[in-house]
Amino acid sequence: MTLSFDFPGGIYPPERKVRSSQASLQRAPLPERVSLPLRQHSGRPAVACVSPGDSVQVGSLIAKRNGLISAHVHASISGTVTHISGNDIQIESDRQDTWHTLAPLNWRDTDAGTLLARLDESGVVGLGGAGFPTPVKARVIARHAIDTLIVNAAECEPYITADDITLQRYPDDVLEGAQLIASLCGAEQIIIGIEDNKPEAIAALTQAVGRSQPVSVTLTVIPTRYPSGSEKLLIKTLLNRTVPSQGLPADVGALCHNPGTLLAALNAVRAGQPLVERIVTLTGDAIARPGNYWVRLGTSIETLLTHAGLDTDRLSSVIQGGPMMGETLDTLKRPVVKTTNCLIAATHAELPSGPQEAPCIRCGACESVCPVQLLPQQLHWYARAQEDDKLERYHLFDCIECGACSYVCPSHIPLVEDYREAKSRLRYQQIETAKAEHAKHRFEFRQARLAREEAEKQARRHARLAQTKPSISNNRADAAAHPAPSTMPSANPQADLRSLRIAQSAAKAAVRKAEKVLAREAQQAPHESHEDLETQLATARENLKVADLQLAQARENAQISTEDSP
Amino acid sequence: MSMLHASHVNDAPSAGTTAPPTASLMRWVIVATLPGIIAMTYCFGLGVLSNIVLAAAFGVLLESGVLYLRKHPIVPALNDSSALLTGVLLGASLPPASPWWLIGVGMIAAVVIAKQLYGGLGHNPFNPAMVGYALLLVSFPTYMTLWAPPQPLISDTLWPQIMGALPIADIDTLSGATPLDAFKQKAQGLSAYQFWASGTLADGTLEAWRFISLAWLAGGVLLLFKRIISWHIPAALLGSLLIMATLFYMADADEFASPVFHLLTGATLFGAFFIATDPVSAATSRRGKLLYGVGIGVLIIVIRNLGGYPDAVAFAVLLMNLCVPLIDLYTVPRPVGHSKGTAGAPR
Ligand code: SF4
Ligand code: SF4
Repeated sequence: MTLSFDFPGGIYPPERKVRSSQASLQRAPLPERVSLPLRQHSGRPAVACVSPGDSVQVGSLIAKRNGLISAHVHASISGTVTHISGNDIQIESDRQDTWHTLAPLNWRDTDAGTLLARLDESGVVGLGGAGFPTPVKARVIARHAIDTLIVNAAECEPYITADDITLQRYPDDVLEGAQLIASLCGAEQIIIGIEDNKPEAIAALTQAVGRSQPVSVTLTVIPTRYPSGSEKLLIKTLLNRTVPSQGLPADVGALCHNPGTLLAALNAVRAGQPLVERIVTLTGDAIARPGNYWVRLGTSIETLLTHAGLDTDRLSSVIQGGPMMGETLDTLKRPVVKTTNCLIAATHAELPSGPQEAPCIRCGACESVCPVQLLPQQLHWYARAQEDDKLERYHLFDCIECGACSYVCPSHIPLVEDYREAKSRLRYQQIETAKAEHAKHRFEFRQARLAREEAEKQARRHARLAQTKPSISNNRADAAAHPAPSTMPSANPQADLRSLRIAQSAAKAAVRKAEKVLAREAQQAPHESHEDLETQLATARENLKVADLQLAQARENAQISTEDSP
Repeated sequence: MSMLHASHVNDAPSAGTTAPPTASLMRWVIVATLPGIIAMTYCFGLGVLSNIVLAAAFGVLLESGVLYLRKHPIVPALNDSSALLTGVLLGASLPPASPWWLIGVGMIAAVVIAKQLYGGLGHNPFNPAMVGYALLLVSFPTYMTLWAPPQPLISDTLWPQIMGALPIADIDTLSGATPLDAFKQKAQGLSAYQFWASGTLADGTLEAWRFISLAWLAGGVLLLFKRIISWHIPAALLGSLLIMATLFYMADADEFASPVFHLLTGATLFGAFFIATDPVSAATSRRGKLLYGVGIGVLIIVIRNLGGYPDAVAFAVLLMNLCVPLIDLYTVPRPVGHSKGTAGAPR
C-alpha cells in the first residue's frame, strides 16, 4: 500500500451498496430479443452492416465503426435480424446461443498492432461511464510517455457495486487485463485505487497482486469520499499529480481504466470474445432481488428489472448510473448498453423529490464541497443570468458535474442542471460561430476525395497500360493526356521522387496530428460530437492516399526509365 | 443529475453535519438570537422585546405587501423567515422602547427598499437590517442615540414611549448614553482613568453591556456549531478589530479605549456573528470572507476612534457590502488543474 494524497472538498453521501453487494453474481436469463443501439460509445454511431432477415450468432459483427472515435457493435444473441433503423438493430433470438468468436490470442507473445486491432474488432469501450473506445485510448497514450496505469476501482457513487463484484469474482483476470493494457501503453507500474468500503474486493486483490506480473502492481486503499473516483481526483490522490485544466491524464503520464473494461479487454484477446455482455448492478428498494447480473447488451431494462422482482406499485423512478451523476429514465423500454453500469429502481421514500427551489443565499456550502475549487454559487448566478464571459472567467468548463454542490445546497437548487444547460448553450454558440469553418473543412474533404479518386483512376489506367504496352513513349503520351498533379515524369525523376516522398511523409504526419487532436478532444468531452474533427481527419487520410498512390506511380516510372535507359 | 440531497438522507455518514435547508437556516439564526435578546431584556426592560416584536411584525407585513404588489407567491417567501429575521435584528439594534413609527420607517427602509426593490432574498447587495438602522441614525439621531440606563423590566414610561407619545425632552431625561458614546464624548484631556472614576455612566451600565455581549457570543457559538455560519467572517472581524484597537490603544491610552472595551461594548459581538455573517450581502468565497471580515473589523475601530459616530458596526458593514463585488472578483479561487499563472483572478 502506498501513500494517498488529499483533494479539496467532497461529500459523504449514504452508500446504500449493501443490498446489491450481498447477493452473489448471477446471469440474467437470455433475452428473447435485443435492441442494440448503433451508438453505445462516445463519438460517431456505428454503421449497420447486416440486413433484416440475416441470421447472426453471438459475436457476429452487425455494425461497423465509423471514423476514429467510434466502435463496432456485435450481436449479443444468436438469431435473426428483424429490424434496422437509424438508431438501432433488433435481433430475435433462436434460443440456440451459438457463438462466433475470434481466434484466442496469447497477449504475451502477440505484437501490439495485432492486440490493438483485436480490441478494435471486439468493440471494447470504457465500461465506466463515457464509453470511450479503448483502442483509441491505448493509442493516444502512445504519443505520451505513460508510466502508470491506474485501475479505477474507487466506485464512489452510492448504490453501484458492479466493479466491487467484478473484483471479488475475477481479481486475477482484471489484473491480467491491466497487465495487457500496461504492456500496450508501456506503463511501468499499475496502481489500483479502491475505496476502503470494499473489504472483500480488497482482500481478493491483496491475494492477486502478488501473482500478477511482469509489471509491479500496488494496491492503494483510499478513504471513502465522493467523488474520489473522478479520474483527475484519483490521479491526485494516488500519484499527487495534478492533471492540468483542459488536460488529459496522459499529460501527467497516467492512464485510468475501470475493472470492467480491463476484464472485457482481456476476454477480447484471450477468449476472442467481442463485447456482448457486461455486469450490471440492479438495485433500489423497488426490486425484490437486488444484485449484480451478467447481462447481454440490448436486453430491455424492463425485462431485466422484472426478472429482479420489480414492484411497479412502489416504483417512483428508475435511474441509470448512480444517483449523483446518473440520469432518470423516462421509459423502461430502453436497452442495456455498453455503458450501463447500474440501474436503480427507487421508491419515493429512498429518493424523494426535492422541495421547491429557494433563492441562493450565497451561504458558500457548495463552495466548501467542490472538489475542483470552483465557486458554484457564482456559476449559478451567471448561468441563470446568461453572462457567458463571466461563466468562463469562473471556469465553468472545469466543472466535473459531480453534483456535490447540489447535494449540500440548502436552497435545493439543481446547480448541475444549470451548469449543463450553460455548457451546452456555450458549446452551441461555438459550433454556430464555427459553421463557416466547418463548411470549409467539408469542401476541403470533397476536394481531397476527388483528387484521390482521380489518382486511383490514374493508377489503374497506368497499370493497364503498363501491362499491355510497356513502352515508355506511350506511357508518356498517356500521362500527358491525363495530367494528374505532379505525376508527370519530369526531366529529373530522382528529384521528383524525393519531393513526392517528402509530400507523403508530410501527409502521414498530418494524419497523425489530426488523429491526435481528435482523440484528445473526444477524451476531454466524450459526450460531445466531434464531426468537424472527424472530417478533418478524413481529409488528411484522403490526402495521404493520394500521396501514396503518386509516390508508388513515380517509383514505377523511375524504374521503367532506368530499365529503358541503362 | 444529483438525485440525492443531504437534507433527505438520514443514513449518510455525514447526516447532521451539513447546514439545514434555507428556510430552517433562517429560523436557526432567529433561535440563536434568543440568548442576546433575553439578556438585553433582562438589563433594559420590556422595551427591547417591544422593539423586536414590532419590527418583526412590520417585516412580515411589509414583505407580504410588496410580494403581493410584485405578484410573487407570498407563502414560500414568508416561509424562509428572512423578513422575520431582519425584523429581529433591526429590533435588537434600536434603543429600547423605540416609538412604533421609528421602527416602521426603519423596516420600510430595510425590507422594501434594501431587499424587495433589489429583487428579494438573495439579490440584496446591502444588509437590510443595517440599511434600516443607518437610515434611522442619519434621519433621527436624537431617538437613535438615547439609550436608557439599565432598568427594571417594566418602566412607567414604557407604553407612552412605544406609542411615541412621550416628548423628546422627557426621553432625554430618562436616557443616558451607551458606554461607547459616553467615552467618545468625554471631555478633552480627561484621562481614561478619570473618566471611569467620574461616574458619567450609571452604575452597572458597563456590566450590563458586557453581559449582553457574552450572550450574543453564546448565540454565535451555536450558529458555528450548527454550521449555519462559517468561522471565517467572525474570526477575521474580531481578530482585525482587536489588532486595530490595540494599535490605537498603544498609541494613546487616554484618548482611545482599550481593545477589551471595544470587544465587549457596543454591537461588536452582535455584529460579528449576526450582521456581518449575513451570507447574501457578504463576500462569497472563503478567501473573500476573510478579507470582508478584516475590512469590517478595521472600519469599526477607525470609525469609532476617528469618525463622528459612537458605534460603527452598521456603517462598517454597509461600506464593506459596497466592496463585495470587488472582493468577489479578486478572490476567485484557483481551480484544481490551473497553474499559478492562470489564477482565478479576472482576465
Ligand atoms: S449552497 Fe446553494 S444557497 Fe448556498 S451559496 Fe451555494 S448555491 Fe447558494
Ligand atoms: S458539480 Fe461542478 S461546481 Fe458542483 S461541486 Fe462538482 S465540480 Fe464543483
